[in-house]
Amino acid sequence: MKNNKIFLIGNPNSGKTSLFNAITGEKLHVGNWPGVTVQKIEGVIRTPEKCTVLTDLPGTYSLSPATPEEKVVLESIDEASKGKILNVVDISNFERNLLLTTQLVELGLKPILSLNCYDLFTKNGGSINLQRFAALTQLNAYPTVARTGTGVNALIDCLTSEEKDPSICKNPSSLDFSEKWKTVLIKCAKSFNIDWAEASPLKKHEILSKFISTSDNNLTEELIKIRNDFAQEISEESKRTIKPTNLACELAMDRYSRIEKLLAATATVPEKNLPKWQEKLDSILTHRIMGLPMFLALMIFVFWTTFSLAEAPMGWIESGIDFLANFAESRLSEGLLSDLIINGIIHGVGGVLVFVPNILILFFWIALLEDSGYMSRAAFMMDRLMKAIGLQGRAFIPMIMGLGCNVPAIMATRIIDSKFQRFLTILLIPLVSCAARLPVLVLLCGTFFPNNPSLWMFLLFSVNISVILLLGHFSNVMFKAVENSPFLLEMPPYRLPTFKSVLDTLKEKAWHFIEKAGTVILAGTIIIWVLSSFPRDIPLSFDYENEKTLIMSVKDETKRQEALENLDSKRELEYMENRYMAKLGKAIHPIMEPLGFTWRETVSLIPGFLAKESVVSTLTVLYLPFSDDLGEAMTKSGITPLSAFVFMLFTLLYIPCLATFGVMWRESGSLKFTVSSLFIYFIIAYLASFIALKVGELMQTADGTALENILIVISSIIAAWYLINITISSISGKMCNSCSQCSACSSCPSKTENCKGGCHK
Amino acid sequence: MVRTTICLADLPEGHTATIRDIDVDSPTAQRLLDLGFIPGTKIRAIKKAPMGDPTTFEIRGYQMGLRRSESELIDIEIKPDEKQ
Repeated sequence: MKNNKIFLIGNPNSGKTSLFNAITGEKLHVGNWPGVTVQKIEGVIRTPEKCTVLTDLPGTYSLSPATPEEKVVLESIDEASKGKILNVVDISNFERNLLLTTQLVELGLKPILSLNCYDLFTKNGGSINLQRFAALTQLNAYPTVARTGTGVNALIDCLTSEEKDPSICKNPSSLDFSEKWKTVLIKCAKSFNIDWAEASPLKKHEILSKFISTSDNNLTEELIKIRNDFAQEISEESKRTIKPTNLACELAMDRYSRIEKLLAATATVPEKNLPKWQEKLDSILTHRIMGLPMFLALMIFVFWTTFSLAEAPMGWIESGIDFLANFAESRLSEGLLSDLIINGIIHGVGGVLVFVPNILILFFWIALLEDSGYMSRAAFMMDRLMKAIGLQGRAFIPMIMGLGCNVPAIMATRIIDSKFQRFLTILLIPLVSCAARLPVLVLLCGTFFPNNPSLWMFLLFSVNISVILLLGHFSNVMFKAVENSPFLLEMPPYRLPTFKSVLDTLKEKAWHFIEKAGTVILAGTIIIWVLSSFPRDIPLSFDYENEKTLIMSVKDETKRQEALENLDSKRELEYMENRYMAKLGKAIHPIMEPLGFTWRETVSLIPGFLAKESVVSTLTVLYLPFSDDLGEAMTKSGITPLSAFVFMLFTLLYIPCLATFGVMWRESGSLKFTVSSLFIYFIIAYLASFIALKVGELMQTADGTALENILIVISSIIAAWYLINITISSISGKMCNSCSQCSACSSCPSKTENCKGGCHK
Repeated sequence: MVRTTICLADLPEGHTATIRDIDVDSPTAQRLLDLGFIPGTKIRAIKKAPMGDPTTFEIRGYQMGLRRSESELIDIEIKPDEKQ
């Protein structure tokens, strides 16, 4: 069997993924592209004779990269030129999709074209003379409808056949450079001592981008002269003044005129890709006044179904797990192994499976919204709002879902196309307070602020929201200097989602979650189990068994029961205090001391990593010596409402749960990103709690200076904010004015007149 | 005949104009050029989002939403006969 490689390349929204699914039987995620956290997806085309590997390249509008994903495409071009290239062209948006094809042809490549969405094209009144098209472009072109699979077989035959089509010979393609461009590029290549005809596609692209660069910086004298001469030449020809720094624009015009000529000769192209009725639908769905309420109503419905309808299957999974645990308990003799199987493995697996109903329901809706084309409209409407925290419109749905559960929310960030935006959204979601954190807060607020718990809850959430706003704003300003991808939001035509594509999404998501994130969650559960159940042998302070027999002799049934329970919890406390978890908690206690936490509170934060609910249950056990009732016990042990508030704030922010951590890691594909995010959360939680503590302390000084103190605090916060802002703008401002190939200017906060969009040495 | 030159961000909804120039110094410009935002191309502002930004434009038969920061890079001219 022979292995061949085919690379799939095309615009975003061109139906690339559908075509990929239609062609390949078997799909493999092959980790990331080297050096970047962009997922590499390969599939296998099986024919009786051989096995062909199809690699899906990230979607891109052109070969001049604006994002890391698109850089991947450019960097794969050399490898792709050795195999075959399948270029998906959305024929319902013909002109623009052919730009990428033109660029490929210019670099000397011969992509096989899949003219996708052919049904939409003909329905809108389009027609094409395929023979003529192939003859002029010198490329094989196959009409396909990836969603239904029409035309895919012919395409597969062409992809897997060894022979070259005899009609495609060495005639120049009408999409290739005109003579005058070719001549000047050969000259250009010569100035680098390179033979244009022999150069690799990547090298050609490099020469071309040097030639059309928008400034003379970093160019050789010879190249500058070639540019000037060429600009002069075309200026005379077109009777316009063309500056050598404007060659990029000339090239784009030249490319589109080639495309227009080709299409005029071979096809009737519909005027618009959106039919009239869809424009009407658009004006209703994105209506200035009615659009948002409709979208919000839809969101509430999606939210409700995702988290309420999932309760029943989640209950089944939980009872199934309980049944399994009971079954294991009855079969296995008590001991370390059974404890591991029951509390470590079975409950760990349960902790993974319990998320699946949420994920399935949420992705059912997301698949419908995405496939129908409504998602782009929703993003369009929400963009202004999300821009306030440095995100884009598409981030709205994941952020809102975060209120229910962070795990499906992070998976939902898949709908965000820009990698930077996606990572930023992933970073922010764990700060959104999910439904599981609510009971913890309700319990603690009710305990410490019995008079008006809701007011304090409100305060907590306000702090939470400000933290999200601040972090979003900061990361955006800080990293904008590094990455600046333009905001482009295409409005695809509305389409009816197909059953198959929705089902494919669901299968993939559920499996992906169980396989990738599940393993991390399971491993984490086992680690927490080890911490909380070792060392095994703990010397007890007195003989419980003996005491038990003594109690057994008590006549009164209720009294005996009470005494037994009391004894059990006492023993549990003694065990817990000696386990590694408590030791770890005590070890890190000095770090937490400035926040006014006792070692008991510090210890309870560790199982909080598994699930925030565990914070409360651990506290209950640890505070047993004071009272059965946690609130009472904590008050008795000397915890003030202020330190309780600080503790709640810390609990809210300090760390996402284990499942969220697992999904963050797997979805971002970067452990470095995930771990540094954890540090960021911890630092934020620490700072926020510390500020809250200090502000609270100041406010509690009940003499006449209280107001003064508050004023001091507020003014110092404002001053700090101002200082940080200045620092940030000076950092990114410096980058803006000094570097030669700067990408930050259009977003630079200290953008001045002399930095209008561009850069100055 | 009076010709007015403004930037694309200021094109009122529903109006059509012709692209005159693109600020090639901006890193976004190359992408806009590749998408077919080139001098001489007709462009129509379709709709502003409920909160005023972004705006969808129709160009070369397809619709693309751009934020003000992007549409400000494009200079257009409105010929009197093109209005509406």
